[in-house]
Amino acid sequence: MRRQLPKRSCRLQFQIERGGRYMESNVIVSRRKKLIGVLREWGLVFSIIIITVIATIIRPAFLSGQNMLNILRAYSTIGIASFGMAYAVIGGGMDLSIGSTISLTAVITMLIVNSSTVATVAPASAALLVLLVGILIGATIGAINGAIMAAVNGKLAESFIITYAMQIVVGAIAQAIVRGNFQAAQYRSGLFKEFGIGITPVLFMLAVALIMQFLLVKTKFGRSLYFLGSNMSAAKMAGLKVRKVRFLAHTICGMCAGLAGVIVVARVGSASVLQGQNYELDALVCVAIGGTSLDGGTGSIMRTLLGVMVVGFMMTALNILGVQSNAQLIVRGAIIVSAVALDVLNKNLKLREVAQ
Amino acid sequence: MSNKRAGLNKFINEQPVLLLFVFFVLIMVVIKPSFVSINNVKNVLIDVSIYGVSALAMTIAIITGAFDLSLSANFAWGQIFFCFLLNSWGETPGAMLAALVVMLLSCILVGAFNGFVVVFLRVHAFIATMATGIILKGFSLVFTGGNMISTSNPYIRMMGRGTFLGLSYLTYIFIGFVLLAYYVMTFTRFGRGLYATGGNRKAAELSGINVNFSRFSIFLILGFAAGISGAMFVCLMRAGSVLYGTDLALTCVAATVVGGTPLTGGKGSVLRTVIGILLIYVLYKGLAFLGLQGYYNTMIRGLVLLTVVSLDAFMTRKDRW
Repeated sequence: MRRQLPKRSCRLQFQIERGGRYMESNVIVSRRKKLIGVLREWGLVFSIIIITVIATIIRPAFLSGQNMLNILRAYSTIGIASFGMAYAVIGGGMDLSIGSTISLTAVITMLIVNSSTVATVAPASAALLVLLVGILIGATIGAINGAIMAAVNGKLAESFIITYAMQIVVGAIAQAIVRGNFQAAQYRSGLFKEFGIGITPVLFMLAVALIMQFLLVKTKFGRSLYFLGSNMSAAKMAGLKVRKVRFLAHTICGMCAGLAGVIVVARVGSASVLQGQNYELDALVCVAIGGTSLDGGTGSIMRTLLGVMVVGFMMTALNILGVQSNAQLIVRGAIIVSAVALDVLNKNLKLREVAQ
Repeated sequence: MSNKRAGLNKFINEQPVLLLFVFFVLIMVVIKPSFVSINNVKNVLIDVSIYGVSALAMTIAIITGAFDLSLSANFAWGQIFFCFLLNSWGETPGAMLAALVVMLLSCILVGAFNGFVVVFLRVHAFIATMATGIILKGFSLVFTGGNMISTSNPYIRMMGRGTFLGLSYLTYIFIGFVLLAYYVMTFTRFGRGLYATGGNRKAAELSGINVNFSRFSIFLILGFAAGISGAMFVCLMRAGSVLYGTDLALTCVAATVVGGTPLTGGKGSVLRTVIGILLIYVLYKGLAFLGLQGYYNTMIRGLVLLTVVSLDAFMTRKDRW
C-alpha cells in the first residue's frame, strides 16, 4: 500500500506535505470530493479565466496582447517580491520589511544611476552595478532579519513584530538618505532603461520564479524549508540545521526585495521613499491566493506566480470597473481574510478525513 | 545589612524598568532641566495617556495570548467617526454623549469581527487583525475621501485643554482606566481566567474556564480601548484622520514588552505597562527634545521595538538548542 519511505527524514515530511492527494488516491473517492480536488488544483487557472472573461465583456480591449503585457509588467516586481515572501512564509515566518527594502534599494539605485549618467545615457556598467548593489542591500537586510529570527527561535509572532520594526528602521534610513525628496530619472536611454521596458521585467520575474522553484523542489535546502515550516522542533530533532535554513530563507527573501527595488525604478523611471509602500501587503495577498498556508510548510513558487497573475488581473479589472484605489485596499484585506479562513477550514476537513 | 542588600537586589531584579525610567529622567534633568518643566511634563503625560489606554488593552490581550494589529486602524476610525458624529449631531451634551457611545459601539463591532475571525474561524490573530486593519483603513479612506475631518466643538476643546491640579483631564481618564484594568486583572474571576487562558489554554479549558469567551471578550476590550484612545486624541487635536496614530499598535506592543510582560502570554501586569510606556515616551520625547527629530526619531522607535522584542524572545524562548 504505502510507498517505501526515503532514507532522508526531510523527504518524509515532504511526502506528508503532499499527502492529502496521496491518501485520497487510495480510497474510493466520491464525485463531490473529486470536484473539490479539481477545484483545489485548478482553481487559480479557473479564476484567471473567469476574471478575463468578465473584464473582456465589459471592455474588449482587456484581452489585447498589449494589455496582458502591461499587466504582467506592472506586476512583475510584486511577483519577484512575492516569491521571496513565499520562502519566508513556507519556512513558517513572515517578512513585513520588504516594502521598506524596496524603497531603500530604489532610492540608492536612482542615486547611482543618475550620478553615472553621461549625456542622458545610463552606462551599462551602472546597470550591472545597481543590480549587484540592490541584491546586496536586500541580502543584508534579509540576513539581519534571518539572524535575529534564528537567534531567538521566533515563532510567527516574533517574525511579525521583528520584521515590522525592521520596516520602520529601513524606511527611516531611506528617508534619511534622500531627505524625503522625489528623484526623477536623468537618463533617456541605456541598458538600465531597458530593464524596465518591453518584456524584460516579465523575463526577470520568470527567471527568478524558475530558479526559486528549482531551489525549493530539487535541493536539500528547499525540502528542509518545508519541513521547518510544518514542524520546527521535529525538523531540529531530525538533525536539520534549522538556524541555517531560516537564515538563508530570510536572506533570499531580502535579495528578491532588493532585485524588485531595482526593477521597479527601471520600470517607473523615478524613485521615492514611498516606492515600496504596501509591497509587503501585495506580496502577502499573492502568496495567500497562491494557496500557500500562512502557517508555513506548504506552497510553491509556481502557484505564487499564478497568484500574482490572479491579483494582477483582478486589480486591473477593478480599475476598469472604476473602483478607486482606497476601495481596492478593502478588497485586498478581504482577500487575505477569506484566503486564510478557507485554508484553515480546508485543514480541519483534511484532519477529519485522516481521523476517519 | 545583608538583609538590606538582598532587598535591594530583589528590587533591581524585579523593577529594572522603573530604575531605567528614573535613570533616563535624571539624565534629561542634567542635560536639559527644562525637560521637567510643568508644561512639558503635562504634554508628555497627555501623549502617554492617549496611547496608554490602548496599551493597557494590548497588555491584557498579550497576557491572554491574543494580539491586535488592527488597533491603529480602529483608533483612526474612532477619531474620524467621532468627529463626523460630533459635526453632524450638534453641540448639546446629550448629542455628544450619543456620539461617543455610537463611536465606541462601532469600534467594539470591529473588535467583535476580529474576535469572530480569530476565535471561531481559528485564523492566526496576527494575520486576521492585519487584514481587518487593512480593510478598516480602506473603509476609513473611502469614508473621508482621504481628508482630515476637524471639529470645532467647544466642549471637546475644553476636554483637551483643561487641567486640574496641573495635569490634563486626559491624564486623569488614563489613571482611571489603569486602576480599573488593575482591579479587573487582579481581583476578579474574569481577570484570573484571562491569565489562565494565556498561560495554558488547554489547562484553563479543562479547569472550567470558558476559553472562547475569554478570548472573544479580549477583542471587544481592544476595540473599546481603541475607541477611547481615539476620542481622547480628538479632544487633543480636534480632528481625525487616517494618518494619525499608524504606530499605535506597535508602540503598545513595545510598551507592554518593555514593561516586562512577555509575548508568550500568561504573565505580566498592567502596572508594568504604565512604567513601560512612560519609559518609552521619556526616551522618544527626550531625544526629540535634544534635537533628534523626524526620521532619526522614527529610526530610534524602530530600533527600540526591534531590540526589545528580540531580547524578550531570546530570554523567554523555551527550547534552547
